[in-house]
Amino acid sequence: MIKRITLFSLAICMILNFGGTIQAADTIKIGFNAPLTGFAAADGKSSSEGAKLAVKQINAAGGVLGKQLELIIYDDQAKPANSIPIANKLIGKDKVALGISGSYSGPTRSAAGVFQEAGIPYISAYAIHPDITKAGNMVYRTGLLGTVQGKAGAKLVGEMMGKKKVVIITLQNDFGKSLAAGFKEIASKYGIEVIAEYQYSMKDRQFGSIIAKVKADKPDAIYASGYYFNCGPLVNQLRAAGVDTPVIGQEGYDGQKFIEIAGTAAEGVLITTTLDRDSKEKETVDFIKAFEEQAGYPADMVAASAHTAVKVAAAAMQKAGSTDPEKIRQAIAQTSLKASTGLIKFNKLGEVMKPVQVQIVKAGRWHHYAVIDDSELLVPPEE
Amino acid sequence: MLYVELLTQGLIYGCMYAIIAVGLTLVYGLLRILHVAHAGLFTLGAYLGLIVTNATGSLLLALPVSAICVGFVGMAIYRFCYQPILHKPPYVALIASIGLFIAMEEIFRLIFGPYGLTYTNAPLQSLVNILGMSLRMVDIVIVFGSVAMLGVLSWLAQRTRLGIAWRATVDDPQMAESFGVSVQKVRYLNFFIGSALAAVAGIFVSLLSNFAEPTMGGVPSYKALAIIVLGGLGNVTGTLIASVILGVVEAFGTIYVGDYLDRDAIAFACLILVLMIKPQGLFSRK
Amino acid sequence: MGIYELSLATIVCINIIFALGLNLITGYCGQISLGHAAFFGTGAYVVALMAKAGLPFPVNLAGAMLVAGAIGIIVGVASLRVRHDFLAITTMGVGFLFLGIVRQQDSVLGGEMGLSGIPSMGLGKPGFLLLVLVVAALCTAFSVYIKKSWMGFAFDAVATDEDTARLLTVNVPAYKLTAFALGTAMAGLAGGLYCYFTRFIMPDDFGFITSISVLSMVAVGGIGSVPGVIIGTMLLTLLPEMSEFLSDYKLLFYGTLLFAVMRFAPDGLAGVGGSIFGKLKGKGGLA
Repeated sequence: MIKRITLFSLAICMILNFGGTIQAADTIKIGFNAPLTGFAAADGKSSSEGAKLAVKQINAAGGVLGKQLELIIYDDQAKPANSIPIANKLIGKDKVALGISGSYSGPTRSAAGVFQEAGIPYISAYAIHPDITKAGNMVYRTGLLGTVQGKAGAKLVGEMMGKKKVVIITLQNDFGKSLAAGFKEIASKYGIEVIAEYQYSMKDRQFGSIIAKVKADKPDAIYASGYYFNCGPLVNQLRAAGVDTPVIGQEGYDGQKFIEIAGTAAEGVLITTTLDRDSKEKETVDFIKAFEEQAGYPADMVAASAHTAVKVAAAAMQKAGSTDPEKIRQAIAQTSLKASTGLIKFNKLGEVMKPVQVQIVKAGRWHHYAVIDDSELLVPPEE
Repeated sequence: MLYVELLTQGLIYGCMYAIIAVGLTLVYGLLRILHVAHAGLFTLGAYLGLIVTNATGSLLLALPVSAICVGFVGMAIYRFCYQPILHKPPYVALIASIGLFIAMEEIFRLIFGPYGLTYTNAPLQSLVNILGMSLRMVDIVIVFGSVAMLGVLSWLAQRTRLGIAWRATVDDPQMAESFGVSVQKVRYLNFFIGSALAAVAGIFVSLLSNFAEPTMGGVPSYKALAIIVLGGLGNVTGTLIASVILGVVEAFGTIYVGDYLDRDAIAFACLILVLMIKPQGLFSRK
Repeated sequence: MGIYELSLATIVCINIIFALGLNLITGYCGQISLGHAAFFGTGAYVVALMAKAGLPFPVNLAGAMLVAGAIGIIVGVASLRVRHDFLAITTMGVGFLFLGIVRQQDSVLGGEMGLSGIPSMGLGKPGFLLLVLVVAALCTAFSVYIKKSWMGFAFDAVATDEDTARLLTVNVPAYKLTAFALGTAMAGLAGGLYCYFTRFIMPDDFGFITSISVLSMVAVGGIGSVPGVIIGTMLLTLLPEMSEFLSDYKLLFYGTLLFAVMRFAPDGLAGVGGSIFGKLKGKGGLA
């Protein structure tokens, strides 16, 4: 009997929920899709926390155009089949002024198409697929393009570190592949010889066979792409197998969790990323402190990117002086904003042009190592 | 030298797979159920083992504690999830098991967070030099541990009353029952042992990567199925051999064929190939 | 209907076509397929390539069905050699093999980067929904027709007891292959429509989880029952939207629901519906 009542009330709740969200009085709404459940839940959590922090800070400072910002977050489980209805919901039902993606490339690209068609601006916080901004002039990206970061990695390894014989270990997804592509594209410019490339899948945590082969290859440096749950174990196992070669990674490692997993093996690992822990810039320092206070764990690149995206959105709306989509878009295009991930400026395609931070693990924390701001190298494609 | 290293790595993977897969094949052999939730027990074992090790500093304590707890959870899963639907078509248990597995993964994420847990001071990390290869203690323990555990299992099955009762029940439950064997007890024992093995496998895997995460059961959930089919459903020896073969194939495959196929595809290509030649698996039901 | 409801209805109809295809294989012919997403994906990639080449959409959709059906026959031939649980795992293997190959094909199939810039059908959102609805209705009608026809009898015989069916001179292999071909062609069609829906496809959309999802839709609905599968599909597709209030607990709810249905109502919604009808009929009768 009780079971029946519970099921019935649950059913009613679900049907009622279909009716849509309760409209709060007079706020400016920003849509946000992120993978809150499913395999990408870790990044979904970080990105939504970063976005929430930004909204909190902006509202505390008076909001935008005299109104409070309201962040409407929906869980897309990192699937395009979910992100498209969500995008339609944000536009059609919630009437958001613009959308931000705190999710991966697949769902972002599909949702971008929807936003472009509806003429509402859409900002990709950290998804790296090049085709996202190609969806149209409404779509912008505050994170670094994969290929751009790969190029920066090549400069770091070949020129700044002087290592010439490199083994690439690539994560088999759009992130890993575009990083490797960027790296290989200009490797020869810096005198780098890629002696071998190995690939692994996102689910891999054990790298025994690849490590055995890398040992036999005897490279000067290892350029390995992946997320903390791949490269943490990878670096750990590399050092245990007696491979002392320097490891250079990217923003997928960016976070305290990588260091926790790799332990002492993490010492000396370098990454190209956009969050500088040692930055003296007020925006970055404030963000790092405030994030750890709110979320309870150290900030990572994903959170910083989402935070930046919200800041860009708010600043654009303020500058545009209205919530008219076309005016916002124009304002975004003219952005020149200092955020936690650096100075944000967009090119014609909507790609960001900003320097790349290089961080190193020292004494169990990420620290500043260098900055790459070779504008010729880092210029993103225009179309 | 490289080939020796690759072979060794393959052996280590294989032993890991073996511990997971044997539990699964035990369940299949007895009940003809594809117990996908087995991978959830694997994850639970890893988390419990990690937490106990971090709390007490002793892996030696964590192993049995985790194994026993997970063993009981496994028994409970049999009693409340499978027993009522034993007579239904096989897909019912399969999907129920999948639903259970998804729910378990989510519970782990909700309780322990999406980022996973690490060991404060991972045990068995000291390095050992064998034949010029640098291995960790945990690698050695996996190989010898799995051989030992499965050896004990085999002895139990052949030489003890319990084992004979179990084998009788697998072959012909009704006949066994008429001889006074409690089929119910055998089933409980089966799940207990299988789940305990899964827990131990989980702990070993978490030691290899210094990491336990909610989705760590994902790959074993389907890989183990492939292995038990390859070995011949219900055949423990077959499962063992299939595990090691798969481990070695993957170790070499990821290096040499990795440009054309990813790791899972290599495993399944192998499986499909074998099944086309021997539709009952490498060894049919013993 | 706002654009939100439109997009939801569209994905529901696409899933219905996908699930009905699986229902043909699993429900009508009793063969468990754990790799149905591979055919869905095949259809999607075929349409993506053909659409980008500038071909009109009816041709593309037909192409999707043909290729998916053809591969379905090949897999079907494999299924003749293995039984039951072995078959389930083999089909799972097919799914992974498909994915493994596609992921590494950077040149033609886009590899990990997937394929983007897929042109729209040009029908607009409501027009597209209409098309998908019509196709779903046709597939439904087709499924019902098959069930009631002599082919359906044969399928049923094979599903219930293959060996006896063989004795009764039912050409079991032929029917198994036919079921596979039809079911996978339908999946390919659904995949093609999906491609026009998202206009951007990546290998991850067609993995093991997708195969499990569609199998769950069929099982929750009631294997073999066309109305059951349709309702089951609607329920599970709309579940993330309906359970939005559960936020963090959504997926937990999904897993628990799946388990609960199999545990307490293994015949799915069709079974529940059937027993309610039975009770109603019984009340009116002899009482």
